[in-house]
Amino acid sequence: MSVRLDGTIIRLEGRCHVEDAEPLLVLLQAEPGRIVDCVGAESLHTAVIQVLIAFGPPVRGETSDGFVRRWVAPVFAKERQAP
Amino acid sequence: MDQLIDQFLVEGRELVQQAADDLTALADRPDSAPLIDAVFRAVHTLKGSTGLFDLQPFGEMLHAAEDLLGALRKQALAADADIIGTLVLCVDQAARWLDAVEAHGNLPPDAREVGLRLQRDLRRWLVPLGSAVPAPAEAVDRSWLDPFLAAQTGLPDGGLVAIRYAPRDDCFFTGDDPVAVLRAVPGLCALRLGTQQPWAPADAFDPYRCNLIFEVLTTASRTEVQAALRLVADQVQIVEVARRPVEADVVRDGAPRSLRIDAGQVDALGTIADEIVVANNALAHLAAQARRGVTGDVLVQGLLANQLDLDRLVGRLHRAVMRVRLMPLASLFQRFPRLMREIGAKLGKDVGLAIEGETIEVDKSLVDGLFDPLLHLLRNAADHGIEPAATRRAAGKAARGTIRLNAQRRGDQVVIEIADDGKGIDPADLRRTALKRGLMTAAALAGLSDADALDLIFAPGFSTAETVTDLSGRGVGMDVVRTAVLRLGGRIALSSLVGTGTTVRLSLPVSVVLSNVIVVACAGDSYGVPMDMVVETVRIPAERVLAVRNGRAFVLRDAVVPVLELAALLGQTTGGSPGDLRLLVVRRPDGLVAVAVDDFTDRLNLLLRPMSGLLAGMPGVAGTAVLGDGRVLMILDLPELIG
Repeated sequence: MSVRLDGTIIRLEGRCHVEDAEPLLVLLQAEPGRIVDCVGAESLHTAVIQVLIAFGPPVRGETSDGFVRRWVAPVFAKERQAP
Repeated sequence: MDQLIDQFLVEGRELVQQAADDLTALADRPDSAPLIDAVFRAVHTLKGSTGLFDLQPFGEMLHAAEDLLGALRKQALAADADIIGTLVLCVDQAARWLDAVEAHGNLPPDAREVGLRLQRDLRRWLVPLGSAVPAPAEAVDRSWLDPFLAAQTGLPDGGLVAIRYAPRDDCFFTGDDPVAVLRAVPGLCALRLGTQQPWAPADAFDPYRCNLIFEVLTTASRTEVQAALRLVADQVQIVEVARRPVEADVVRDGAPRSLRIDAGQVDALGTIADEIVVANNALAHLAAQARRGVTGDVLVQGLLANQLDLDRLVGRLHRAVMRVRLMPLASLFQRFPRLMREIGAKLGKDVGLAIEGETIEVDKSLVDGLFDPLLHLLRNAADHGIEPAATRRAAGKAARGTIRLNAQRRGDQVVIEIADDGKGIDPADLRRTALKRGLMTAAALAGLSDADALDLIFAPGFSTAETVTDLSGRGVGMDVVRTAVLRLGGRIALSSLVGTGTTVRLSLPVSVVLSNVIVVACAGDSYGVPMDMVVETVRIPAERVLAVRNGRAFVLRDAVVPVLELAALLGQTTGGSPGDLRLLVVRRPDGLVAVAVDDFTDRLNLLLRPMSGLLAGMPGVAGTAVLGDGRVLMILDLPELIG
């Protein structure tokens, strides 16, 4: 399982495959505003990326997937820094 | 966008010209690999830049030409007259389409049809090779490209490949991961994510339906990109994008105009601007002194010196800006060979155009203003001058008529001649026509010399063609050509020999013609002589000069050339410099003449200014030029000086 709810935070871990898109979607729909943490994600499937773009949850941390970090992650919503 | 189109037109014309020149050379040496390479590169680059605009038939035609040239390059085919001819047709069509894009902002309505025909012609050699002949693609929407490119900054220079990848919406089911696909594309330098449809509401969102679009720029070649994306080829558009270094944004008013400027000239302008800043600082210093109450000689001296400085700098600035405006006549002349081929084809005449002097640089206004008059004169020469092949053969001439378009610099003037070897104009015919049109009375006509009778052709309402032809007789007569030339400050003259041909000569005084000048020393002064008047410079021992009656001469390659002293020609005392003689050899109608000078000191490119006012009539002086150090150099008209 690459998608895990940890308190109020959704953690993406390891290799996120196409089938992880649906659980991610369910968690986001259940409680809009949940933060997604990418630090543990090694790679993200397009379907997962698409959910992050469409729903625009605040994304925290950088994935170790260099390609996604460089070319895709800039369009993710950022977690607002606490004042 | 306008700026892009302008650049495209300028570069497109250059590429078309280059391809046409190289194809002409290739016709003589069909197995020359460097020539084939050169044509290939020109066509390839032009094709790439058509991709920036909505010019699909244009790009596809060039693509076919590129494929054919590629086969020649790989020596799968050997170039022959047929292949080269078809490529010339294709390049001509490219030139016509560039004209259409300039005039109407778009391709003509028949472009698709014409393009397909040419593609078929170009590909017929490729079929036996078994090369894939791609069916002409259906219309592809390229409207995404411009906004995408416009949004990118900091891209590398040089050619890029743009990719638009719109994955099928069921691609996740078939196992595709579009982001993973794009990882395989080398040289990525931009990626933009978009959506195919607006996002569905949250509760209707289908995570297994791909709604993303990827727009990508890469420095990789088209082939590399195609290889990386071969599995999703049906979902991608790949467009080669020709890019240039990012230009500074310039606010322009009115119609956009572009001028290609040599970087060195911009540097020179920058240097002058720097010096003006320095002079301005000095002036500020003087102003501060005046404010402090400094008066008298100190201030006056300072102001005078400063004024001199500024005066010199403003002069230099003016000259530098004028130089920026100079462009070679080639940009004008290079448009005529194709037009002449078309005119010849329409008239059913075999007409060749020989061009000379296209490297002469003239002011941009001249290049812009001469196209229509010259085209009209060339049409006239082909239509009325050159006879049908049969008539020519009967008269003992070559079946192919020749029109020479030739430019020469004469002092401050550019002389452009259009000479045909056709039937010439009979002054008697002109007299008859003038009488018929009621332009002059019979008595007045009888009093005209033949030369004056030839001038009748420039009279308003005069046209010698018995039938108004499609080409020459569009209600535009020679009087309109003359008016256009006069408006540019020039003169037009016509000479003709029945049976031999007609020459029309335009003399345009261009105050800013850049001349290559040799600077010579004579009796303690420096003078300039335009290089185009000098056949060669010779240095010989004094004893090789022989006394011939009361003159002197020397032998130059078996010809006896008279030697004159420049000092004597200028009415100064001859110093009689010791040792070797330095001679400028000049061509005159009756042969070569050598003019002895004290020394050759320099060779410079200078802006020749005609003499004005009282000095305008001074014989033997073509004009003046200002040297870098501010000295004024007299430019001599040696043939006139020799008399």
